[in-house]
This record gives sequence, structure tokens and C-alpha cells, in this order.
Amino acid sequence: MTFYDDEILGKAYDGRLVRRLMGFVVPYKWSLTAAIVLMIGSASVELIPPYLIRTAIDGPIANRDVAGIWPIFFLYAGTLVFSFLFRYVQTYMMQSMSQRIIIDIRMTIFRHIQSMSLSFFDHNPVGRLLTRITNDVDALNDFITQGTVALLGDLVRLLFIVVTMLVLSWRLALVSFCIFPVVILSTIIFQRIMRTTYRVMRQRLARINAYLNEQITGVLVTQLFRREESSRTFFSTISKEYLQSQFRSNNTFAVFFPTIYVTSVLASAVLLTLGGNLVLGDYVTIGLLVAFIQYTDQAFQPIRQLADRYNTLQSAMASSERVFRVLDTPAEIVDPVAPLELATPVRGEITFDNVVFGYNPEEPVLKGVSFTIPAGQAVAVVGATGAGKTSLVSLMARFYEIQQGAILLDGIDIRSLRQHDLRSHVGAVPQDPTCFSGTIRDNIRLHNTLISDAQVQAAAEISGAATFIDKLPGTYDYEVRERGSNLSVGQRQLLAFARAMAFNPEVMLILDEATSSVDTETEQIMQVAVQRLLKGRTSLVIAHRLSTIRYVDRILVLHRGKLVEDGTHDELLALNGYYARLYRLQYAEQFGGQIPE
Amino acid sequence: MNQLRALWPYVVRYRWRYIVGILCNAIQIGFTVMVPQVVRVVVNEISTKGIIWDDLVAAALKMLGMAAVVFLFGFLSRVLILGTAHQVEGDVREAMFHRLLILDQKFYGEHHTGDLMTRVTNDISAIRQFFGPGVQQIGAVLMIVSASALMVATNLTLALIVLALLPVVTILFIVVGARMRLIFRKVQDLFGEVSTRVQEDFSGIRTIKAYTQEVQETEEFLRVNERYRAQNVRYVLLSGLLWPIISLVMGIIGSLVLLIGGQQVADGKMTIGDLVLFNSYLAALGWPVVALGWTVDLYQQAVSAAGRLGEVLQRVPSIRNNDDNGGIEHTVTGAIKFHNVGVSVGDGADARWILRHISFEVAEGQTVAIVGATGGGKTTLVNLLARVQDPSEGTISVDGHDIRDIALSSLREGIGYVPQDTFLFSVPVRENVAFGRPDASDEEIERALHISRLSNDVVQLPSGIDTLVGERGVTLSGGQKQRTAIARAVLRDPAILVLDDALSSVDTHTASQILEGLRQFRHGRTAILIAQRIATVRDADLIVLLRDGEIAEQGSHASLLAQGGLYTAMYQRETLADAVDNA
Repeated sequence: MTFYDDEILGKAYDGRLVRRLMGFVVPYKWSLTAAIVLMIGSASVELIPPYLIRTAIDGPIANRDVAGIWPIFFLYAGTLVFSFLFRYVQTYMMQSMSQRIIIDIRMTIFRHIQSMSLSFFDHNPVGRLLTRITNDVDALNDFITQGTVALLGDLVRLLFIVVTMLVLSWRLALVSFCIFPVVILSTIIFQRIMRTTYRVMRQRLARINAYLNEQITGVLVTQLFRREESSRTFFSTISKEYLQSQFRSNNTFAVFFPTIYVTSVLASAVLLTLGGNLVLGDYVTIGLLVAFIQYTDQAFQPIRQLADRYNTLQSAMASSERVFRVLDTPAEIVDPVAPLELATPVRGEITFDNVVFGYNPEEPVLKGVSFTIPAGQAVAVVGATGAGKTSLVSLMARFYEIQQGAILLDGIDIRSLRQHDLRSHVGAVPQDPTCFSGTIRDNIRLHNTLISDAQVQAAAEISGAATFIDKLPGTYDYEVRERGSNLSVGQRQLLAFARAMAFNPEVMLILDEATSSVDTETEQIMQVAVQRLLKGRTSLVIAHRLSTIRYVDRILVLHRGKLVEDGTHDELLALNGYYARLYRLQYAEQFGGQIPE
Repeated sequence: MNQLRALWPYVVRYRWRYIVGILCNAIQIGFTVMVPQVVRVVVNEISTKGIIWDDLVAAALKMLGMAAVVFLFGFLSRVLILGTAHQVEGDVREAMFHRLLILDQKFYGEHHTGDLMTRVTNDISAIRQFFGPGVQQIGAVLMIVSASALMVATNLTLALIVLALLPVVTILFIVVGARMRLIFRKVQDLFGEVSTRVQEDFSGIRTIKAYTQEVQETEEFLRVNERYRAQNVRYVLLSGLLWPIISLVMGIIGSLVLLIGGQQVADGKMTIGDLVLFNSYLAALGWPVVALGWTVDLYQQAVSAAGRLGEVLQRVPSIRNNDDNGGIEHTVTGAIKFHNVGVSVGDGADARWILRHISFEVAEGQTVAIVGATGGGKTTLVNLLARVQDPSEGTISVDGHDIRDIALSSLREGIGYVPQDTFLFSVPVRENVAFGRPDASDEEIERALHISRLSNDVVQLPSGIDTLVGERGVTLSGGQKQRTAIARAVLRDPAILVLDDALSSVDTHTASQILEGLRQFRHGRTAILIAQRIATVRDADLIVLLRDGEIAEQGSHASLLAQGGLYTAMYQRETLADAVDNA
């Protein structure tokens, strides 16, 4: 989750960022214009009620004209209805527009992140990417709604009230304006204090949540290792720290809210004395004085909100900074401008020509590897952990970019192909079987509608997954939970095999992780599955299990990033080199006995 | 109300603060409603021009004096009532955490982490809202009562019109608010779906890319987003309505006051000051009438929150010390005996035995291996020993004592457990290893790291043994995590070491090194090893083969092979199936 996302606060306005953000608003400029017009309408209509009160008091009421109040009443009620409509329609339009903008921004980020190469995902935890796409996008939306229209609305409201007051009576207006500095100052001071207080509060709450989450997940460990007491003490400490910041915030509010009240009484008192004196001197009427008390109160609201907007803008700027940083990260692997086409049908011949690669270019994992796999041949790659076996598969699917050399498919450099074309012919079965929430069927064909239900079932049967699927309630409609948590590791692996079978690529890359947490029976099914996957197609198997090797035509031995041996199992044993040693060692470890002759 | 009773003790202890707070609130309200009375007099006198400058100043000072009193008592009541609510929240939070720490796995099996997190965060904050702002709304009631009384005293007709219409605002708030909450829940659910999609897509990016499903995934994501948007728009239709319609109703009441009050003033039945007074009270009542509706809302949320909190706070752990003697303090030496142990799940007709008729004995210092197919009950069996759960029948004894009689702390002190799923805390590696022995010396830690073959890995970490583990620090590989867990258990120097398939993510070469290291470490200790492969445990003193929850065979490797039964078949299958054709 996002418990630890540090808040970086900077400027509340950054022209460069704002211009880019406004780019997202452009498609909706007409909705925006309409919203602004409605806002101006609403701000104007709000000026009318106090004026009508003045008219009533100074007119019919003063003249003892009972019937004369009716027209004013209807005008007053009509104004309220208009004001209601303006406000409601404007809010609705603004919100539905901003919801569309959110989707636009979110989809832009999503598409961009999805197009990144795997090294990007190696460096950015999913939790962080999730924050970019959810919380940060919401902050951007706040900027668009609150930063543009609402900010403008506050300014317009304030301006309208000030102008109206000046027009009606400059003397009373000046009296009113005396109070403004008090309101502005008290609001600014309050905002300053609250900003830091809130930040501290949020950080401390985040800490509580993170700790709580971890303690709940790992409660058994805490209990088994008798650490309940120290967990209690620690939680108590962080909980009390949070409480202290809550107290601080509460005390600040306890001063601020009564202050608002006092300023409003102060405004009335000042207007009644100085304004009252003006009435006594016949400079203004009593009705106007009453209207001014209302106008002054109305003016306070936008002033207070303007201070609030500052915080919104500041965090929106920080969010957009983060979002644009992601959007500005160029995709490391891009399709060529003029891609070549593979000749159909794809034969599936693979060539590695002096390939050099390292996840970190300074520490190459592969140091010049060359080999060719003729179409239809099944090849196993063996070697100790860290020899670079896994990289071979990732590179063939072009998940990472090589630093030197070339990788060819049917004689064409894979860098001159579209990634989509390459990967639709080269299937990689990942070593960590991924499951998605959805049905078993969805997990086999993903969202590819070209694969029919019948094909899904056929794939499941060939790969041996059907055995367990048929036993599930609802079989192919069985709902797989997030991360496949309601399936065993073995079942997930079989599902991954079924998926590979359903997509049926010409070239198959398999990462065959040693899964000792799979029981012998499941493992036998899996061996049959691997055998069937390999049959009749070019395949590269990263073998951890020696048993897999017996189905391949040829073995490549990698050692410290170099290809050291190449041949059939028998040839390599006869060679009595690195493979033969590795084989005996692993065999001895796995079976602890004599190698059967 | 019944549900709220679970939280009563946490509130009652602060009753004096609440009482004084409410008194302050009452004083604050009393002065608040008096200010418009001063305004009324001044307005009347200004309109009849029966006042001089000095009187105006005196009235203004009187108003400000009253405002000062309101300020002081407003401040006090907020600090007392709202501050105390924070205190209550903190107390309940700690109590919840303490309870969570002692609850058993049965409880955790019934509740997801997310669910429990919600209780400790959202539900507790609902409680604070009710015992803070909710209690403070007693002031809103006082305000309504006193302002109503003063309006009635001023002009009965006008007062009746206002009082007849004000409840409309409260009802509107309750009705629209309830509907809003309903839709908001759906909005949140859909937001959850959006997050889940992002999370799944990016976690499974390798699969998405390998099968070129980027376009389809993007379309799918757009669909979820569109549904979220549609629901959000439904929400906005209501939430955008709430405040404008409340101001509309309040405005209409105001216009009626202007109409009828104005006519009465014109008629000479009422003064202009009275009209201003009504306007002031109407403005002052705006919030209290909404607050009434809000309090109903707060109350309902607090009741359901209290129900969920009570479920945890009042839950008695099923795994606890013997109620009669509080548990015997006993230093475990390691002789284990299972006598006709059985574990069943479900009840009535659905009851199903996952372990039954389990009897075996391990002498102090011996090693027992438990083998068998997945789902055979191996993990459940070792969980029983550390009392992660208790058996449904039969007894387990350690050193001759029924483990239910031994103090939980003594029992667990004697066991070093490496569970199947490794859990590490996001603290430095050192703290993770020393988790069960915070006082361990560097040498002891070094030795534990050596046995678990973690020393070389640790050296390569950015800050060595002080490298932070987890989201904010380094992500350890599955094998490194398992080895850290082994080091953690070894460091405790336990009389009984339990390894539940603890080498599954470790490569075979390292695994055999660790096993060798443990073999020496195990010397003189009792050990229980769960393994998928017989090869790893063939030298155990006793091998127990579980099948469908019962012991199918037990004995030493040699004696089991001599029996030529299931074990032999399993061993042969393991050897043969994995054997490479060397022809």
C-alpha cells in the first residue's frame, strides 16, 4: 500500500506543469466554459437576496405598504430557485467532466507504464505505480476542479460582492473592509499551523497503519517467538504519538472555530456602530445596513476558501510532478519505425549471435553467447544458479534489451520486428506462475477472445490441468482469487502450462523451476505436460530438474555467462566435463545414492 | 445501543470531562443566542433614531463581551469533548491491538487482514466521531430549543412557521444522506476493482507481455474505469444536490419570514429589530438542524462499528493457558508424545477429520520426519505441537506434561518454528534474525547465519546485516527469506526445532549444505522435519508417513523399506520418476 509515500511539498503553482495539465482539459473546453458561465451566473444571483431585503425594509415596510411585500417575496423565492439550479447544474457538469478527465489521465499513465520494459518494473514496486495511478490522479483532478473553476469562482464571488458594496454605499463598504484584514490574517495563520499539523498527523497515522498491517499478517510469528509484549509497547508508543498530533490539531480547531464566530460578531458590531452612525446621520438607510451585514458575511466564505485552495494546489503540483516523471520516462524498448515482417508460416529457428547482456550493463550476466537452434528442436539449458539461464528466455522474448550482439528469429533480428509480432510467435512460460482474479477459463485464455471455450478445454486436457479443473466446483467457471491464492502452487503451474498450450506459439520458452513444494503425483503430471509442450516445436527449456532433460534433443551448458558445452546428454557425459560433474553432483544431492547405470 | 455497550467502559472513565464539556457547551450556547437580542434593540433604536453614538459603542462592546465568553467556553467545550473523544479512540485502538495479539489462528482464519485493518482504522474513527462531534451536538439541541423559545417569545405566528418548516431540512439530510452512503459504498467497491486491476496487471506484466495481451488489458481497464465513472456520476447527482437543496429550503423559510414578518412590521405588529432577530436565529439554526440529521447518521455508523469492534474486543482466545492453574512453568527438554490425536473441521454433518488416530513418540534429541502427499495434514500436525491450534481429540504431551497444562509462554519458548510460508518483518536483517532473542550477541547471530547459509548473502546486501527488509528496503528472494527464517529459529536455541518444508525455495545444493549444518546443530535436540522428498529426511530416527490424515506407516527408513508398503512405493516412484535415462 501507500503507507510510506513521502509527501514532497513544493510550489503551489508551476507554470510548466499547469500547462501540461491543461492539455488534459482541452478536449472538454466547452463543458468547462459552460461550467464557468454557470458559476458566474450563480455568483451574480447570490448578490440579489440581501438587496431585496434592503428594498423590502426601506420600501414597503417603511411605507407601511403590506401588499407591496408580495412582489419582493416572489422575486426573492425565484432568485433562490435560480441560485439552486445554477449551483446544482454547475457542480454536476464540473464533476462529470472531471470524472472523464480522470479516466483520460489514468489511461494515459496505464498505457505508458504497460509499455515499459521489464527493467522498469524491476525498479518500481507495484505499490508505487498504484499510487501514481490512483491517489496522484485524484490529486490532479482536485487541481482541475478546485484549482481552476472553484478558484476562479471564489475570486469572482469576492470581486462581485466588493463591487456591489462599493456601488451601493462606498461609506458602508469601507466600514466592512475594515474587518477583511482580520479574517484574512486569522485564516492564513490557521492554515499555516494546520498544514504542518496535518502532515505530522498523516505520517503518524501511516506509521500506525503500516505497523498494524504487518503485525496482523505476521501475528503467528510474534506469538510463536513470544514477542507480544514488545509489540504492545511499540504500538502503544506510536499510537500515543498519533494521539498527541490529534490533540494538537483539535486544539487548533478549538481556537479557530470560535474565532470565526468572533470575527462575524465583530463585523456586526463594527457595522452597527459606524454604520448605525451613518444611518443616524442619514447617509444610508437602515435597510442598506441590514443588507451590508449579510454581504459582509457572504464575503468571508470565499476568503477562507482561497486559503484552503492553496493546500490543494500544492499537493496537486507535487502529484503532477510525480506523474509526469513517470510519463517522461521513455520506454527502453520501442518498436522500429519500419518493422520487418516474419515470413509465414514462422519456422522457429533461433540464433544467438555473440550476445552480451547484464541487468546492470557493468555486470554482464551473458558474456558473448552464440548458438543456433534449428526449427523444431527442443533444447535444455543447464548451469548453476546465476549462470545466466533465466536471462536467455527474457532476451528471446525481448523483455530486456541486449547490450551487444544479435538475436535472430528465422534469420531476422528481433529488434527489427514489432514486439507484438515477436511475442505472438514466441511464448514464454514464466517461472513464477501468475494468476489473475477471474475464472479458470479467463486465466487460460486471458482476455484473448480468439481462443474458444473448446480450445481452452483442449489446452487444459493436453497440459494435464484438466485433472484438477474438473474437480473444482464450477470447473472452468471456478473463480480464481487474487494472486491465485485459492490454488496450490502445482495447480498454478499447470494452469500456466495450459495457457501456453492455448496460445500455441511456434517457439516455446519454458522456465522450469525446481518446485519441491509440489508432491510427486502433481510433478509427474507436470513432466508429461512439459513433454507435450516441447513436442514438435522449437523450444528452450531452462531445466532445474534433471528429469526434464530426458525429453530434449540437445543440451547447452552455461557457466558464468559463457556457453561451455553443447551436445546430447550422452555426448556430454562422455565428454566428462562440466556437465558430467554437475549431473553427478545434482544427482547425488537429489537422490543421495548411486547413479543407476 | 446494545452494541455500543461493548465500548462503554472506554467512555465512562472520562465521564467528568464529558460533563464539564457539556456544561461549557451550554454556557456557550446561552451567550450565542443572546447576541441577536442586543442587535435587535440596536436596530430598533437606529430605525427610530432614538440612540446616540455612545450607546452604539456600548452595545457593540456588550456584543464583543458576549462573543468573548462564547469564544472561551466554545474553546473549552471543544477541547474537553472532542479531545476526550480522541483519547477514547486511542484507548480503543490500543485495546484492539492487544486483543489481536492474543487471538488464535482460528480467528485469523475467519477474518482477512483488510477486514481487521478496517476495524482498527475506520470503525474506531466512527466511534470517535460519535463520542466527539456526536456528543457535541447536544449543543445543537440546546441551540434549537433556546432559539425556538426566544422566537416564540418574540412572535408566535412567525415562530410557528419557521419551526414547522425546519424539520424538512433534517429529514432531507437523513434521506439524501442515507442514499448517498449506499451509492458511495458501490463507488468504493468499484474503486477497489480499479486498484486490483492495476495491481494484478503490473504484478503479472511478464505474463501480459509474453502473451501480447496489452491491448486487451487496456480495454479491460478502460471498462472497469467506465463503470467506476458511471457510479461516481450517480453519486455526484446526489451529493451535488445535498447542500444546494438544503440552502434552497433554508432560503425559502427566510423568504417566508421576510414576507410575513415584513407584513407584520408594515402593519405595526412587530418591529424591524424583531425581523432582523428572526433572520439571525434562522441563520444560527441552519447548522443545528442539519447536525441533528448528521447525529442520527453518526449514531448508526457508531452502532455498527461498535458491533464489529466488540466482536474482536470480547473474543476470548481459544488457545490460552489452562484456566485452572494458569499454566505450569516448565523448561522444555524435548520428549514428545502424540496420543490418539485427531483434528476435525466443520460441525454436524459437515464435520470432516483432517487428522485422526495420530500416535507416535519422539524421545529427547531424536529427529522425526513427516512425509506424505500435499493436503495430507502434515502442517496441521506440527501446528498442534506449538498450540497454533488444539486437537479435537487425544492428547499431546511434551516431557510428560499435556501441552495444554504447560504455560503457553514456556511451551513456545522451547520450540523453534520455521513455518512453510516465511514471514519477515520490515526491519533490518539483524532484527529479523534476532526476533526471538533480541539480546543475542553478534557471535550468536553470526553462527545462526552460518548454519542457515545466509552469511554470504548478507555480505552482498547494501548495508550488510543492517539492511532493511521489505517494501522500503531490499526484497529478498524466496530462498533468502526461508534461510532468514531458519536463522531466526536456530538463534533461539530451542529444545525442539520444527521445519515445515522450510527449504522449498532453496536450491538443492544449498539445501543439502543447510541440512548438513542443521544435522550438527540438531545434535541433542528434538527435531521435526516436514519434507516433500524422502531423500532429504531418510536419516531421521522416525519417519511418519501421513495419508489422508492418518498415519499409514511409521518407522525408520530401513524398516519402512523392509515393509515394502506405501513408503517403499513412494520412495521408488521418487527415485525412478526423477531418474534420468542414462542409456
